[in-house]
Amino acid sequence: MWTLARKLLLHDRLRFAVAIAGVSVSVMLVLVQVGLYFGFMDTASSLIDASSADLWVGKAGNESFEFASPFDERTYYKVASTPGVEHAERVLMNFAQFKLADGGDLGVQIVGIETTGLPMLAPWHVIAGDVKRLAEPGAIVVDRTEYSKLKIDHVGHTTEVSGVRAEVVAMTKGIRSFTTSPIVFTDLRTARSYMPTLGSDAVTYVLVKVKPGVSPLVVKAQIDQLPHLAAYTTHEMSERTRNYWSTRTGVGAGFFTTAILGVIVGFVVVGQILYSGTLQYIREYGTLKAMGARNSMVVRVILAQAMISAALGFVVGGVLAFGMQAAMAKANLTVALFPSLYGVTLVVTIAMCSFAALLSIVKVLRLDPASVFKG
Amino acid sequence: MNALALSDTLPGIAPASAPLARLVETGKVYGTGENAVTALAGASLDILPGQVTLIEGPSGSGKTTLISILGLLLRPTSGQVWIEGRDVSRLGERDLPGLRARNFGFVFQGFNLFPALTALDNVAMAIQMKDPTAKNPRGEARRLLEMVDLGSRVDHLPADLSGGQKQRVAIARALGGNPPILVGDEPTAALDTKTALSVMELLRDLATNRGRAVVVVTHDPRLEKYADRVVKVEDGRVVSISGENV
Ligand SMILES: Nc1ncnc2c1ncn2[C@@H]1O[C@H](COP(=O)(O)OP(=O)(O)OP(=O)(O)O)[C@@H](O)[C@H]1O
Ligand SMILES: [Mg+2]
Repeated sequence: MWTLARKLLLHDRLRFAVAIAGVSVSVMLVLVQVGLYFGFMDTASSLIDASSADLWVGKAGNESFEFASPFDERTYYKVASTPGVEHAERVLMNFAQFKLADGGDLGVQIVGIETTGLPMLAPWHVIAGDVKRLAEPGAIVVDRTEYSKLKIDHVGHTTEVSGVRAEVVAMTKGIRSFTTSPIVFTDLRTARSYMPTLGSDAVTYVLVKVKPGVSPLVVKAQIDQLPHLAAYTTHEMSERTRNYWSTRTGVGAGFFTTAILGVIVGFVVVGQILYSGTLQYIREYGTLKAMGARNSMVVRVILAQAMISAALGFVVGGVLAFGMQAAMAKANLTVALFPSLYGVTLVVTIAMCSFAALLSIVKVLRLDPASVFKG
Repeated sequence: MNALALSDTLPGIAPASAPLARLVETGKVYGTGENAVTALAGASLDILPGQVTLIEGPSGSGKTTLISILGLLLRPTSGQVWIEGRDVSRLGERDLPGLRARNFGFVFQGFNLFPALTALDNVAMAIQMKDPTAKNPRGEARRLLEMVDLGSRVDHLPADLSGGQKQRVAIARALGGNPPILVGDEPTAALDTKTALSVMELLRDLATNRGRAVVVVTHDPRLEKYADRVVKVEDGRVVSISGENV
């Protein structure tokens, strides 16, 4: 049956090529679009995901991760002294003006962290310099990928943020912000000096590590009792941020609409190809039924053709998606391709091709075996 | 094996063996009310092993309708169709494929071979379609193609075969699953005279030496010499059965 299906498909090479092209484009669109979406989402939550905190505590009412309202040190101490908290760290995040080499200014996202010991949030993927120097006043860490915006390609570069001295002590690679403003890591004190309007003891997040054996959820519930604060597990915080950007920007709907269009295109192309093949061989299919082949057998021949198209199209589309991933990486776009995405796409492809075969299947089911003797 | 040249050695009248199939007063009316067309009216016919039956008659007389009912492709609106010792005329499409697969092989004017499949694949696929549990369908297909003298053409596509060869492939395919009855609707109409006669010779041989019942619709009186009997159909009625002394 597979042999028959394969030979029927391959007999008309052009038609076969069109079918495979249809499925491939569809598979590629789904993978790249959904992959881009997840790439964006990974970027949106990258700071959170990179932290080793159990809980993120911020002001209640914060909508987005980036545009969070600050609070003061007293609140930080309340969090730090909550039962079950082993260790708490302050993070100050906000936007500031970064002076470029050509004299212009660029808005950057300052991430002020505590730099003593092993902080729960710190620059990662360091490719040059020494992150330990971040504790020095005015020390900053920028990302190599933001070169096109910051025009910085070496450690030691000095500039000003909000008119205050800044020196690049280390560079990372691949830490990108979801907002268009590059991420700049500094020590908490330096961050405060860059953002004087927030006050000298501003904090936007407190990262919490709970004591061994204590459930983060229990501690979270206790912190939630404190006035004006909301605590989230790192996973929740990550999800919140992704959801915020996904729904606020409509980026999710955009990517998924394109992916769905891709599926529709594949569906129409494969359906059309299978149907024209079925019509071409309708007399032969009728002959099979006349000879005594059961409907299920004939249907299987058609479904097998759909499955061969699905499998080959999936492989070709999958490889194309890899190519697109590499090409887009050059444009600083992350296409997140991962096994479960491939898995779901395979299922979608099989479903798409099966449904595309439906018209052909109905056609052969309705085919009257007596038609073989009709002129 | 070669088809035996039997053109001048007509076999004797069929032995008094039990019929393989039997039409009893079968009729077919297409449509209802004002549009009703009576295609067949009270046709009776016994199909015996080893016999070649030709069905002749003017266009529109009901020949195709007759053999479609016989081949269980079409249900009669009246009368009975006996196969395997029972009346199957009221059975539905659920039961018919199995009965067709066991009892009939079909050949057509247009051969109806899959152009994408070689002679061998066409036959093997039919064997498998008739019986998905068939053992070694390719070996069996090869044997059947050798039987119809196409042992050297098994890997050819239909497009690379002559009309007569294509019809032989179709006959080999019809023989797949070893059915006792071969039914053809003008199987020689698309062939030149010489080829037509050789295809008919093959069918005659299958009847004589392999006990098949062959039922063939034709317009060609030159085929009569291969037949044990000629059934004439007019206006949906069997008007005469020649060569039959029953
Ligand atoms: N599906 C159908 N619906 C209505 N009428 C039909 C149908 N099939 C056949 N007929 C009619 O039944 C009659 C017998 O048709 P049938 O095809 O059996 O004739 P035939 O002897 O095979 O003719 P020919 O030699 O032209 O093939 C014709 O009048 C035909 O128009
Ligand atoms: Mg006819």
